[in-house]
Formats: sequence, structure tokens, C-alpha cells
Amino acid sequence: MNTKLLFTAVFLFLSSIIFAQNTISGKVVDEKGKPVPGANIYIDGTYDGATSSETGEFSFETTATGNQYLVVSFLIYETFKKEIEVNNFKNQIVKLKESVNALDAVVITAGTLESGDKARVSVLKPLDIVTTAGSAGNIIAALQTLPGTQTVGEDGRLFVRGGEASETQTFVDGIRVAQPYGATTNNVPTRGRFSPFLFSGIAFSTGGYSAEYGEALSSVLLLNTQDEADYNKTDMGLMSVGLLFGNTQKWAKSSLSVNTAYINLAPYQAVIPQNVEWNNPYQSLSGETVYRYHFTNGIFKLYASFNSEKFDLNQKNINFEEPIRTDLNNNNFYLNTSYKGSIGTGWQLTTGLSYGYSKNKIKFNLSDLDNDENAAQLKLKLRKNVSEHFKLSFGADYFITKFNENFDDNDAISATNGYDSNIAAFYTEGDILFSKNLAAKVGFRLSNNSLLDETTITPRASIAYKVSKTSQFSFAYGDFTQTPVVDYIKYSKYHQFESEKASHYILNYQFTRHGQTFRAEAYYKDYSNLVKYDTRDIQYNSVFNNNGSGYAKGLDLFWRDSNLYKNLEYWISYSYIDSERDYKNFRTTATPNFIANHSLSIVTKYFITDWKSQIGFTNSFSTGRPYDNPNETQFMNGKTKAYNSLSFNWAYLLTTQKILYFSVSNLLGTQNIFGYDYARTPDAAGVYNRQAVLPTADRFFFVGFFWTISQNKNDNQLKNL
Amino acid sequence: MTKIITVITLFICSLLSAQPQFEQGMGKAFQLWGEGKTTEASAMFERIAAAEKTSWLPNYYVALVNTTAAFSEKDRTKLELMLTKAQDALDTEMIKDQNNSELYVMQALIYTAWVVADPMTNGQKYSIKVMEAYAKAKALDPNNPRAVFGEADYQLGGAKWTGVDTKPLCVEVDKAIELFATFKPETPFSPKWGLERALEVQKGCKK
Repeated sequence: MNTKLLFTAVFLFLSSIIFAQNTISGKVVDEKGKPVPGANIYIDGTYDGATSSETGEFSFETTATGNQYLVVSFLIYETFKKEIEVNNFKNQIVKLKESVNALDAVVITAGTLESGDKARVSVLKPLDIVTTAGSAGNIIAALQTLPGTQTVGEDGRLFVRGGEASETQTFVDGIRVAQPYGATTNNVPTRGRFSPFLFSGIAFSTGGYSAEYGEALSSVLLLNTQDEADYNKTDMGLMSVGLLFGNTQKWAKSSLSVNTAYINLAPYQAVIPQNVEWNNPYQSLSGETVYRYHFTNGIFKLYASFNSEKFDLNQKNINFEEPIRTDLNNNNFYLNTSYKGSIGTGWQLTTGLSYGYSKNKIKFNLSDLDNDENAAQLKLKLRKNVSEHFKLSFGADYFITKFNENFDDNDAISATNGYDSNIAAFYTEGDILFSKNLAAKVGFRLSNNSLLDETTITPRASIAYKVSKTSQFSFAYGDFTQTPVVDYIKYSKYHQFESEKASHYILNYQFTRHGQTFRAEAYYKDYSNLVKYDTRDIQYNSVFNNNGSGYAKGLDLFWRDSNLYKNLEYWISYSYIDSERDYKNFRTTATPNFIANHSLSIVTKYFITDWKSQIGFTNSFSTGRPYDNPNETQFMNGKTKAYNSLSFNWAYLLTTQKILYFSVSNLLGTQNIFGYDYARTPDAAGVYNRQAVLPTADRFFFVGFFWTISQNKNDNQLKNL
Repeated sequence: MTKIITVITLFICSLLSAQPQFEQGMGKAFQLWGEGKTTEASAMFERIAAAEKTSWLPNYYVALVNTTAAFSEKDRTKLELMLTKAQDALDTEMIKDQNNSELYVMQALIYTAWVVADPMTNGQKYSIKVMEAYAKAKALDPNNPRAVFGEADYQLGGAKWTGVDTKPLCVEVDKAIELFATFKPETPFSPKWGLERALEVQKGCKK
């Protein structure tokens, strides 16, 4: 070996290392030319690099030669990668583009109130449903503390922005629930069927929602079951109104949760004076189960619930001397399966089906009213991330509803009514992210209803603009249609009905800072095609038409804060609404009886560490609601006195896994009146007598003991209360 | 002459092999971290991670540097950025290897930082995940002192809220300290932190 040659070679190589130090320098700026400090600048594949200074400047030396890739990365910006000549990159300006997928990018918020892990701005947190005083574990009652809702105490369902309760549809994992509420009768409030137990996210839209959802005039409530069970555990509850039992098993790829409950209101009805006479207390036996299986690219979920309810009560009626007896039995079954997964590149597939069955057996004095409903939905949805700036989704739905009702007064009248409805719908929607500060969503829904023999196209559009780090504006517009409610279409002949229609215009402002959220939303809703009839009650020989109309306009305000005082959280909701309708058998345009012009809710929660307790207060106030007094000439001219209810709850941790829970609604015992029922005929003096519509009881109280058994000693049922 | 050439050749060989470069780079990053320059340290670890796709350590330290910094960060926006960066770095390694005990300890630490940042919002949600991550870390390596200590430390931190019995947890801390004594890191840069904090917690236990 020629040692000299080797030496030379080595020397040359060494010198190349020593002398080939190239300096790379420049400045990192954002789109507005402002310096970006803290960015990581380096030559790809080497260790050579630097961090930009406060002024965005950087400079480093590299031993790399020739053409190399320069990478500049900083979390909230799109990573910059460019081929450069290392010996010729000095004092260059590198401009970074803000990533549209950044955590604080704009999101369309008009109309939507969200809760849960995935929501960027949670108006409600998952725990809130159960720790809000007065909610008693009822999802619906917790939502009634949000703006845009009306407290309709004798009904219990969600009334949104001047809409009837039937105008809100409930969806579990994106699939409709045909019978979301428990069975009830005249002026006895119902509850949501779903325990908050199994849901991790809730989105409540008070208008202007996506084209994915149809058959809802006012609002959609989207409940999502948890993707994953926490771990193996057993929950038990002993309550003043019944028993609870739950068990969760978790395996490597799947998990199963089962919950059962038996509710009996007898002890409560014995203690608290009741405004109605109960022959048999409200009782229910229910079970819910969720099974989840994780595939490599997707997740399959099955949710099923069964619910059997009964009660028997006597209610005074102004038209009869004797009270009317109602004896009700209801069985309800709901099944929902869904699969969500990714296929190919950037495609996401969601598919599912639901089936609901509800059977009522009701006895009014001697008459029998039996009805049953079978409802199913099939759904397919595809979503494609075309680029970072454009997402396209489209899908199809098929709804099947069969309803049958038999009435027999066990004397002279016997009648059968029912309908079969099939609705096929298609929708498509595009999400466009112009920049981090500007986003839009445009779509439409095409729907064909065989019962109505009708095809409708409804456009939806929304846009959001972020004006600063903490605030943004959104605007949403949409047309919505819905098949008239069962009370009408069970008498449908020869496609005589048309869909009812509404248009929403919503302007939203949102301010968010850590621990604080403020929302203001102004809206206008235009109703048309509402069903009208010409009789006192809806009956087989009523003459129906679709000539009704109406409007609702108002302002909703929401403020939530957890910074004011340590361990204190509170929110305030205020709604103003002005709404009139000419529908049903209204003589003229008037404000319906479920609308109160002003509503105010204040919810507080306070954790006292020393007492191991969380206490909460909720105060709900609304101004009087209209009612029609036949003694006056003007239609719907009466107004009830204002409504107020102050509720209190207290959760006490005996040990980590044992909780004592106490709650009482309407602490002050305010005598609330929801409206008046007037006699059909005047008395001898020519006066129509009346009877107040009252709560079934002025107060509700609840005491419960909850125990969780699991290996994880930190878990408890606080979140379930 | 031959001697000189041999020395030089050896020197070059050592220069050419990646190992010292890796060691130098990592050493530089640790030095920056030691000086409190967390942004620069994190950036250095990120550069090494981008160049050395086969080692899980650079990304592990990206996660560790950012997570530990997040514990004392007051600015909410910065904190979220740090924890997101930590999670991204950890995710990169977690995809490659789901059986590394240290990565699960790191995951638990990130969740803990979220809880510390906002106990009211994140407490319930992440506590379960913290415990799951430690359980997984212990299952993969029962003698990992960081897993044993971390699990006990997290529960001790929450004891004043949950009222759990601290005695068995303190026993776990003692056990972790013994494990720290016998623990041998696989490479000079493998995780070996935690003993100081454990001793501190042990003092608290003895009060």
C-alpha cells in the first residue's frame, strides 16, 4: 500500500470536513411578516440547525454540501421544506403559513352548543349533565339550562326557539332515535330515555345545522356513545326512588357495558304532597347495553336499550265532576349499530342502522287507546379529505315508520288509524377552510317522502370568521322540512299533507379564553306550511290544510366562567324570544302557550375540599306564558305569572368509591302555574270556569348512595349522578 | 509514520461512524437542557430525531423536555403547544414500538401535565388514562422504577381529594427507590431520571 497516497487521501477528506463549513442564515416570519421566535431550522438528515431568536433570526453552520433540504418547523405552522444550495443560503426570509389544522383554527359555531372531549369549546362538560342541580340525571333537564330553550314544566321535552317539542330530533352516534322520551300523559312531564352514563359527547344544535340531519324543524340533539370503556368495574346505586346496577368489562379490542335500573316513585310520592292522585306510582324497569369492537381501521358499536314503564293516576278535569283516570303501560326497545372507519387514502366511512319499537297501552277511564310504532333508519356517510383546505362529505338515509292506533271506548266507538311512511334522503356538504381564520360549510339535502308524495331540496350554508385570538363571528342559514306529527298524519288520506317548513338565519358571536366562554346569538326563523285544522280537538273528521305560518326571533346569551373564584364554576343563560304562529286551530296569529318571552338560568357548582363535597344551585326563571281565556274576546290574551325554581344538590364523597348524593328541586316551594284549562261550556252565569295546570308536585327530592367496585380505586360515580 | 496514519485513520473511522455524532448531538442537547434552554434543547432533540429514525430516544426526550417544561408553564397557549408537541413526538415512537415501558411512563406524564394544568376539566377524564398508562408500563417491565414510582406519586398527589389510604402508596415509593438503586440504563442516554423526586416524596411520606 502506498502510505503516502493514503495519507493524502485522508488529509483531503479531513480538510473537506474542516473547510466545508457553510453558514446558513436568515429570518423566519409569519404571513404578516411578523418574526416567529422558537422555530426549529435545520438541514434535513443532519443535526445541523438552530432555533430562531426573539427577532426570528437564525444562523448556523453545516458540514453538509451541495443541494440539501432546509426544514423549518413550528407547531402551529405548516412545516416548511425547500431544497437549497447550502453554500448560497444567507440572510434569506422564510415565510411560514399558518396551519389550518391548528388547535385554535376557526370552527363554525352558529347554532351549536357542544360538550365533550372532542369539542374545542365546550359549553357543557360531560360531568355537567349529572352535576347540574335540578337535572336529576336527566340530559334534557341539563340542556334546559342553556340559552334558546324554553322551560315547559308540564311537558318536560325540549322546546327550542319557538319550536314545538316535536321539532327537535335526537340522534345517537349519528342515527335517529324515533322515541327519545319516556311515556307520559296530559300535563305529566317526561324525561329523556337515555341515561347520561354512556355518552361522552353531546352536541346540541339550536338551529342552522348540517345537511346530514333532516326531519327536524328546529333543533337536533346529537349524543355520542363512548368509543372506549374505562375499565372493568361494577356500579351499584341505592336511591330513594329505586335501584341501579351496572357492569363494564373490557378486553383487548372490545368492551361491554350493561346498566339496569328499577325506578319506583312510591316513596317519594308518599313523602311529598302531590297535586294529582296516584293509583299506582310511576314505575320503570330499564336496561341499556353498549358493545364496542375496535378494528385496525375502525370501530363498531352496538347500543341497545329496553324500557318498560307504567303508572296509573287520576287527574281533575274542569269539564267533568269526577277526575279522569289514566292507566298507562309502555314498552320501548331501541337498537343502534354503527361502524366508523377509514378506507383508502383520506376516506372516512360511517354506516349504521337503528330500530325503535314503542308500544303504549293506555286506559282513559273505560276507554282503551293502544298504539305501537316501528321506526327504522339506515344510514351511510362518506367523507373525504380532499386537501387540507377542503373536505367533502355525502351520504344517504332511509327512514321507515309504521304507526298503528286502536281506540275503543268499550261502548259505541271503535276506530283504527295508522300510517306507513318511507323517507329516502341524500345529502352532500363541503367544508372549505380558506385560512385559519375563515371557514365555510355549504351543502344541501334532497329528500323524498312516499306518504306525502313529495320531494324537497333544502340548502344549508354557514360561514365563520375569526377576528382575534379569542373571538369569532359565525353566520348560518338553512332550510328545514319535517313531516307533520303523528297526531295529524295518522289521519292522512291521499297524500293530503305536506311537509312543514322552516328557514333559519343565525348570527353568532363567540368569545373564549381559558376558563371563560361568552356567546351571543341573534336569530330569525320563518315557518311556513304549518298544519291547521278546524275542530276543537284533532280528530278523524277534522279538515286539515297546510296554510299555517309563523316566525320566531330572539337573542340568546351565554356566559360561563371558572376563573372568578377557586373551585367555583358557574354559567348564566339568558334568552329573549318574540314568536307568533297561525297554526293548529288558532283563530288568528298569536304567541303559542309554550313561549315565555324572557328566560334566565343561573347554574353554580362549588367544590369544598375540606368537606369532600360538591354543592350546586340552579335557578331557573321565566316570564309568564300566554293562555287563551274564552271569557275575553282577544285570542290568547292571558298571561300566567312568572315561573321560578331554585334547585340544590350535594354530593359527598364518603370514601373515593362511595358517594352520598342529595338533591331537591324548587327549594323555595314556589307555586308555579303553567297555564289554565278552561271549561268547554260556560256555567249558568255565562262564565267559562278554569283550572290551573300545575306541576304534579311542587318539589322533587332525591337521596342516593352510589358505590363503585373496581381495581382503580380513584373512580366513582360522581360523573353518573 | 505508520503509527500516525493508524491514529488518524482510527480517528476518522470514529468520526465517520454515526455513534459519536449521535453522542455529541445528544450531549449538546442535554447541555442546552441543563442550561434551561428548553426550546433549543427540544429543537436539538427534534433534529436528531429527524436524522436518526431508528432510535426512540431523541423523540422520547422531545416529549420529556416539553412535558416537564409544561408543568411550570403559566401561559395557557404555550402549555397546550408544548403538550401537543410532546404527544406528537411520543406518538411517533409509540407507533414503532408498543412494548416499551418507558414510553407508557412518558404517556402517563403527559396526561398528568394536562390534569395539573386544569384539574377541574381534565381531572376526571385523564386520571383514568394516567393510571392505565402506568399499569401498562408496569405490566411491560415490573422493575421499571419510574413506572412504580409514578403510579404511586400520582395517587399520592390526589390523596387529599380522594382520601385514599397513603400507607400502601408510600410502600410503593420505598419499593421504587430500591428499584432505582438496582436499575441499569441500557445505553448512556436511556432514561434514568426520577430518583431525586422519589426521595423527596419519601420524605413527605415519613412526616
